[in-house]
Amino acid sequence: MQSAGVIQNYALFGATAQMRYTEPVATLDADVLVAVPSPDRLDALGGIYGFCAAKGYHPEGEAIQVRAWPVQFVPVFSPLTREAMEQAETADFEGVPFRVVRADYLAVIALSVGRSKDCARILALLESDSVSREEIERLAVRHGLAEAWRRFERRFLND
Amino acid sequence: MTEIEQLLARQARWQKSRKALSWPEKIRMAEQIRASVAQWRSLAGYNAAAAHKSKSVRA
Repeated sequence: MQSAGVIQNYALFGATAQMRYTEPVATLDADVLVAVPSPDRLDALGGIYGFCAAKGYHPEGEAIQVRAWPVQFVPVFSPLTREAMEQAETADFEGVPFRVVRADYLAVIALSVGRSKDCARILALLESDSVSREEIERLAVRHGLAEAWRRFERRFLND
Repeated sequence: MTEIEQLLARQARWQKSRKALSWPEKIRMAEQIRASVAQWRSLAGYNAAAAHKSKSVRA
């Protein structure tokens, strides 16, 4: 997709990325951050849908069914998500290289969203030692999430 | 150690052993439980809708 010019860059995030660091978690779909050539167009994802359809992968709800997984392509929507995608690591998935968002960015994206399951994600990442409180704090402060991090610490981490 | 503490210790060991699996193995595990999670969520949605309807009827 990248070499065809449909997307400029991508990285897996959300629960499927989290599982690289923690124990398996229940999830219904795979989320992929993408940078598309014309993000301001109304049909910013049109190129991706067209490309997938040509390969036999069709939309189902808000996702595209790719074999066993519904895949949600999410255009980068903030400086944080753009940086998360650009700084992603290349992981090996049974011989296939795959860009995956790093644990610190996964935690801070979760902090920025703030639902219960996002709080659980941050705690799981901390517990797995894949990221430290200091690393999350540094990144959170840089992206204007200092207050959200302080609230999270008060609620879940302070004894 | 109480029985509950033993149970929690066993659970922690089990969780740690799952964390040590390879990423593809963990993805496959998530794939296996996806159908039942979807079913459970649709049932939860159905129950919420039914409760809402029942409230509307009573009102």
